[in-house]
Amino acid sequence: MSWQKYILAFGITAAIFGTAFYIAARFDSARVADIRATQEAVSIDILSLETQFDLLGNLPCSIIADNPVLSDELDELASRLSVAEGNLGSDNAEVISLKKQYSLLQIKDYLLLQEVSQKCSSFEPVYVLYFYSNTGDCTDCARLGEVLTYLRQTYPGLRVYSFDYNLNLSALQTLIALRKVRGDLPALIINDRAPVYGFRNLEQMEELIPELSTLSTTTATTTER
Amino acid sequence: MEIGALGLYVCLFIALYFEVFLLISFLEKRPSKKSALRPAFYPTVDILVPCFNEQETVGKTIESLLAMEYPQDKLTVTVVDDGSTDNTASIAQTYAAKYPNVRFYTKENGGKYTALNFGIENATADIVGCLDADSFVAQDALIEVIKSLNDNPSIMAITPAMKVHEPKNALELMQAVEYTFGIFYKKMFDNLSAISVLPGPFSLYRREVFKKIGLFKHAHNTEDMEIAFRMHSHGLKIVNAHTAYVYTTVPKTVRALVKQRTRWSQGFLQNSKDYAHMFFNRKYGNFGMLVLPFGLAAFAAGLYTAGYMLYTVTSLIVNRIADYSATGIPLHMPSFHFDWFYIQTSMIIFVTVTVISLTLFAIYMGAKISQTSLKPRSFVAYFALYGFIAPLWLVKAAWGALLARESVWR
Repeated sequence: MSWQKYILAFGITAAIFGTAFYIAARFDSARVADIRATQEAVSIDILSLETQFDLLGNLPCSIIADNPVLSDELDELASRLSVAEGNLGSDNAEVISLKKQYSLLQIKDYLLLQEVSQKCSSFEPVYVLYFYSNTGDCTDCARLGEVLTYLRQTYPGLRVYSFDYNLNLSALQTLIALRKVRGDLPALIINDRAPVYGFRNLEQMEELIPELSTLSTTTATTTER
Repeated sequence: MEIGALGLYVCLFIALYFEVFLLISFLEKRPSKKSALRPAFYPTVDILVPCFNEQETVGKTIESLLAMEYPQDKLTVTVVDDGSTDNTASIAQTYAAKYPNVRFYTKENGGKYTALNFGIENATADIVGCLDADSFVAQDALIEVIKSLNDNPSIMAITPAMKVHEPKNALELMQAVEYTFGIFYKKMFDNLSAISVLPGPFSLYRREVFKKIGLFKHAHNTEDMEIAFRMHSHGLKIVNAHTAYVYTTVPKTVRALVKQRTRWSQGFLQNSKDYAHMFFNRKYGNFGMLVLPFGLAAFAAGLYTAGYMLYTVTSLIVNRIADYSATGIPLHMPSFHFDWFYIQTSMIIFVTVTVISLTLFAIYMGAKISQTSLKPRSFVAYFALYGFIAPLWLVKAAWGALLARESVWR
């Protein structure tokens, strides 16, 4: 009996595990880089739009109506961020950093939306600010998230901005304070109305957002997280 | 990382370590190819065929033995009928009347080991073998085995390469794959001097083995395993003749398969308990240090993985149903669009892929060294069914061993 073989087998097995860990980590890094690149692209788009506003003083409302700002990219970002969060964990520093950037982009997009809707009376957006927590204290958050995802897919014109209530980001905390959102999550702000709290199923959500009837619908075919 | 997933990593580490160990053994000593050489001399051989209600196959089994390329005056076939209630005895008697080197005995039913012991006590040949009455040997099987025995007088027992006889249904095809990588494993165990079972289909012993260590025991209905354990405990060498092919009929139904494997698995657990002193005992070489502990670890890992998967899948389904019920979202098929971003690339995937790749390599090598050709549908059957059926016998065996309940033959 040779001990060397036992040690060699252990070494090779450990090396295979190490390699698997390394490859998985490389994929995760590539995902993070992909998200960061998308966020930078979105950030440039927002800046560009803001600059257009500043340059022109006003942007033709027809252009706004035809180009629904950034919500599509933000939805894709949300989906990708959810995957990264699932792989790396919600307490991962990289994930937290990405979430902060994502939240900032959402806030900017939301502010831009407000500005556009004020300037263009024909532009009547339907939006939801959704505050959730994933620290285990909000069992209904995941389900409400699914309802909102489904609504977003059914009504492409609906804008959903989702925020991690506990994210340590001053801009977000300012938004929470301004809109007087309590910690009884999940919380929803629909079209500048007062916050509503607690889980709502699909039917209740449709009742809660009567403006949905003004939006065109499509058949929901995906269930992005 | 959640504790359940951590357990899964431990199981995968154990599986991978074992496969890597066998791979190193393979690279150290590759199995030789079959040669056309004939044995330098032909010792006398007595093949015992213990049978109980084997009327469907016993005739074919005897014929396959008589068709072997071996001097007929050196070969005796001893059929021991263990109190069959069907026509087994009359069929065997017909052969005994027709062929001078076929002997037939009948006795009261007492279990396979008693039939074997009866045959051994009446045997006079140098080599005593056993062939289950539902198995058939290749024409050159005995020649191949005798060549190995002649080459090394220290070899006390030898096992063949077991293949599935004419696999047809999905369950048999599944077992054909399992037996094929079993051929590779057995050869690697041979390299490590750690073969853990001398199966009923065509294992051969020097007759002196039984004088040294005694006859077969009941051994929880796994006398073929216990004798291997006992031989190791006495330092007797067991090897594998991978070029000696034997074809065995395998269970055709899930019920029969689970019953058979429960007996094997429970036998392993109970014999392990009886021979606990051999575990992690350097005195018994790789058998005590690797094969026995890893056999037990594989058993536990199989149970754990099956339990974990069952729990995970059940939780997922229950949660999805609860989610659909609570949210009111109508059921819809998720759309598929390829994006590398969403491909599962966790560490566990890569390790699992490695384990499966090494398993496929073992199957490939097993097929190569035994000249077995497996059909693609065999692989489909294996990968689709094995993971669902194996946990059944693992649970039954663990439960039976826990209650110290006797397993059943049929």
